Amino acid sequence: MKYIIMMNTMRAGHGVPEWPQKDLQAHIAFMVGLNKELRQSGELVSAEGLSFPDQAKLVRASKDGLPITDGVFPESKEFLAGYWIVDVESPERACAIAAKVSAAPGPGGKPLNMPIEVRPIMSGPPPEML
Amino acid sequence: MKYILLMSGTKVGVDTYCAWSQKDIEAHMAVLGRINKELTESGEFVATQGLAGPNEAKVVRGEKNGMPVTDGIFPESKEFLLGYWIVDVATPERAYAIAARISAAPGPGGTPTNVPIEVRRFAFFEQSKSE
Repeated sequence: MKYIIMMNTMRAGHGVPEWPQKDLQAHIAFMVGLNKELRQSGELVSAEGLSFPDQAKLVRASKDGLPITDGVFPESKEFLAGYWIVDVESPERACAIAAKVSAAPGPGGKPLNMPIEVRPIMSGPPPEML
Repeated sequence: MKYILLMSGTKVGVDTYCAWSQKDIEAHMAVLGRINKELTESGEFVATQGLAGPNEAKVVRGEKNGMPVTDGIFPESKEFLLGYWIVDVATPERAYAIAARISAAPGPGGTPTNVPIEVRRFAFFEQSKSE
């Protein structure tokens, strides 16, 4: 079964974390190591990091179908920072991977313990609806 | 350049969608299916997924010993990711145009839903295919 593991951040003005270089490197090394493990176990489907909210746009269609773009977001909005899609045997395994992500090191090597959202992926709409 | 188009909604919105007539749902899915087909033909399609409802979502934190602590209760007002499209396009404007077409997919009675679609560029470390 497939799950998406989502790391969200608050704050629309969010930029590159102002952590010391060493702490950032330890954080990235942790993520690279985790992805390597998940690839070796055959559970990794994909993993991506997204650009920061200052580059995000909100798009709606106008009456004539043209895009109306808006780049202004409330400070309190939660933004997707990155995600992992994993193909695992059980929901418990998906949660265990999410806990690993949550415990990624932050400033001074201290685990961030950030909340990670775990959601099953649907197989897609039934064929008669396509 | 790769973009992800995120469609989000609240629990109330999901409940409303579940109340659409079969015909309206079919018309909506037909338009989304056609958009996917067109994007595949133009070579811009990377991936799309719908997510299961918020009732199946968990928020996980790592404990000090690394064990997962799960929580399944979310505030009513929380925005949930409903689904996404990943596209590989020549310009940001093209990503916005695709997002606008998704936004204009028909809702009840064929009226465009005009749902807002968040458009985000992938950051420098792309780890899915390149590694």
